[in-house]
Amino acid sequence: MNNRLRELRDRHSWSQGELADRLDVSRQTVNAIETGKYDPSLPLAFRIAKLFHMSIESIFEPGKG
Amino acid sequence: MAAMAIYVIIMMMIWPLARAESNVWLKAVYALAPVPPMIYVIWLMAQRIMRSDELEQRTHMIGLGVSAAVVSVISLISGFLAAANVLTLDATSTILLWIFPLLMFTYGGVRTYAARRYGSSGCEEDDAMPLYIRFLVVAGLFCAIGAYIYFHAHDERASSFALGMASALVVGAIYFAVRRWRKRRAVE
Repeated sequence: MNNRLRELRDRHSWSQGELADRLDVSRQTVNAIETGKYDPSLPLAFRIAKLFHMSIESIFEPGKG
Repeated sequence: MAAMAIYVIIMMMIWPLARAESNVWLKAVYALAPVPPMIYVIWLMAQRIMRSDELEQRTHMIGLGVSAAVVSVISLISGFLAAANVLTLDATSTILLWIFPLLMFTYGGVRTYAARRYGSSGCEEDDAMPLYIRFLVVAGLFCAIGAYIYFHAHDERASSFALGMASALVVGAIYFAVRRWRKRRAVE
């Protein structure tokens, strides 16, 4: 799954740690989502969407295959 | 760490008394003395897993699942070979004692591997005390126990084991200290 998390984080000038604190997850989780190594659960995806005032599908999109 | 230190002290200084004790109840107390600190460690691990986020819980789950599978397969293979008299196992003591350490060792290794796959180190230093300091403290503890056993109990085998463990921990401390130094250098 592809996502725009890094772009959105950069737009707010937040570090991975700051974003992690706002989402109540570890910095490693934010890093894994940004690098596409981990797809978040639905509740976490909703928290991310709510934080950036966007819909889930505008942040996450299905990858190839 | 305190629980593990107590466990080591008990294993090296109290548990051996069980073999020499003639009273059955006292023998059982000595023999089961290492169990409470281990249960405390398991409880601490459970608390840590409960507090962790979804990615960390996934890596814990992978570690526990793979370690359970590995230990089960090894037990099954050993059991079949022992039942067919191909392998002689001292099932009443030695083998049972190895199950838990094997489970924990496999769990730690697999969890670290899974965490690395997701881009973290598997043993992040989130707590106040750096890992290399912890390793050095436990190494010092092993040294003290080894010295005590050597000078008071005159058990060269046990003291050699303790000093060997201390040496291995010092090597681990050097590894984590170098890794920490390299990480800090990379950040600067």
